[in-house]
Amino acid sequence: MKPELFFKFASISFQKQVTYRFDCFVGIVNGFLYVFIFTSLWKALYSQFDTTVHNGFTLTAITTYAVLVMAVRISFTMDDSIIYRKVMDGSIAMELIRPTSFFFMNLAENVGHSLFHIMARTFPVVIISLLLFDISIPLEPVRLLVFIFSFFAGYILISMLNFAAGLLAFWFVEIFPFMLFKYALFTFFSGGIVPIDFFPEFLKPLVNFLPFQYMLYFPTVILTGRVPMAEVPSIIISQLMWILIMGVICSLMWNAGKKKLVIQGG
Amino acid sequence: MQDNIAIEVKGLRKEFKVSSSGKGFLGKLQALFHRGHKIITAVNDIDFKIRRGEFVGYVGENGAGKSTTIKMLTGILVPTSGTAEVNGIVPYKDRKKNAAKIGVVFGQRTQLWWDLPVRESFDLLRVIFRVSRSDFDRQMAKLEKALGLRPLLEMPVRKLSLGQRMRCDIAASLIHNPPVLFLDEPTIGLDVLAKQSVRNFLSEINRTEGTTIILTTHDMNDIEQLCKRLIILEEGKIIFDGETEFLKQKFVHEKVIEVEFYEDDCVMQGIPGVTVVREQGCKKWLTFDSDGSGIGEVIGTIASQYKIKDISVKEPSVESIIRNIYDNRIKLSTS
Repeated sequence: MKPELFFKFASISFQKQVTYRFDCFVGIVNGFLYVFIFTSLWKALYSQFDTTVHNGFTLTAITTYAVLVMAVRISFTMDDSIIYRKVMDGSIAMELIRPTSFFFMNLAENVGHSLFHIMARTFPVVIISLLLFDISIPLEPVRLLVFIFSFFAGYILISMLNFAAGLLAFWFVEIFPFMLFKYALFTFFSGGIVPIDFFPEFLKPLVNFLPFQYMLYFPTVILTGRVPMAEVPSIIISQLMWILIMGVICSLMWNAGKKKLVIQGG
Repeated sequence: MQDNIAIEVKGLRKEFKVSSSGKGFLGKLQALFHRGHKIITAVNDIDFKIRRGEFVGYVGENGAGKSTTIKMLTGILVPTSGTAEVNGIVPYKDRKKNAAKIGVVFGQRTQLWWDLPVRESFDLLRVIFRVSRSDFDRQMAKLEKALGLRPLLEMPVRKLSLGQRMRCDIAASLIHNPPVLFLDEPTIGLDVLAKQSVRNFLSEINRTEGTTIILTTHDMNDIEQLCKRLIILEEGKIIFDGETEFLKQKFVHEKVIEVEFYEDDCVMQGIPGVTVVREQGCKKWLTFDSDGSGIGEVIGTIASQYKIKDISVKEPSVESIIRNIYDNRIKLSTS
């Protein structure tokens, strides 16, 4: 897909978000509420113990993590029911008659959507949190740069996850339960609630077997400085490997799903 | 595939699996564990060839498989079996390549962006179809004039009336000047004037650009005015493929005489080859075998026996012929 077209699609999707201003306001409040709940929880938990470091996190480190993981999560906001809706109302037909890749069109729409949420929600939540909480972010330029790279890799991964989940609509009429299941899996195993370091030992093999930690946890801990720079290259390589694997899964599902597709409403 | 063939379809078939659950609470409960499946054949092993520059009507009752065929030829659906080639490209294998060389209008949907002004939608399509600025400007000037788009260009698509939107959608499908155009009910819901302007335009691009057009419609006036060739589909099978004129010629002896008498007890007896199709009070509709006696002879016989208030002779319209075909009153042998 030509970059010009990608940006055009992204910009249309961005503009569509702008129309929902009230949604956005609620979104800011909601995001900040989450940050407040998690930081308060950690504070209360840490005050119960004499030791100040748990699983390698000081109170400042865990607060930083809670704020930034939420910031990344908000930035990754996308509409994961978009494919399902296009199948349900049959409008997917109108996209398939265009000489464009369905995956990239979907990605462009997601990017526009997320870009709006980054500007309208991520920044306010981060700024308010910086003023209210004790947070420390190492300001090393190289680290910031690799964070941005890892952030994009994570973004592509979650976009692929949503694409693959959305394709289930080609097989099943109702995929809402799948989406709930995906959401639960993602939120927990990506470190969205509790950093992976706090997971019990028996869960760790499963976590390492799943792609979720590369979507949220690793980009976040690269930014917070929890991961030494020496370990960053292997994380990025793992992310790229997962993009490859998810890419193969998406393409296999797409090719199989095409045969199952039924256009609703004639 | 020869150069002069635009579309070639061989043994094309599409089956859909439909799950059926029992009736009532128990039936639904049972369906939770075991569900019956039914295979519905929407398109049943059809073959046809369409040459470049043809204007073909693709008709059939609802559910006959027209739209499903179009969706396979445009690469939206993958056939269960059989093959199809459009411009030498297999649509369901090379969807994007095929899409670049066809135009598609689905009357019930729009390919324009709901919230964007028409002009921006067109501009987006220009980028999507990789049309150069100069080609785009030339094509747009032509489309604007022929379809009267100028007053619509700045309006958001959601504010257009159905007829306006349809004209814009037809223009949208032609931005890249495709050699093959698929129109799935493009005149649905349009008023008489709008229909006529769409027809005039389609007929013109078919004549001047040599665009191959496949049109599905329920409006038989579309067919009579536009389509030299007609493909009739019934339950997924082609039951007629030939010239529209041939169909009319073949059934021209189905001429109907509409007579209104002064008394309603007239019995049509003693006139050879005449049958009463319908009666309503003093009005009777008669058909007669043109091989037996001439029309003048028939009318003369009736007039000599009964007092006639009014009489008229009706040509069979393609509509009535096709209605008769649907109703199985006319048996066709597939040519």
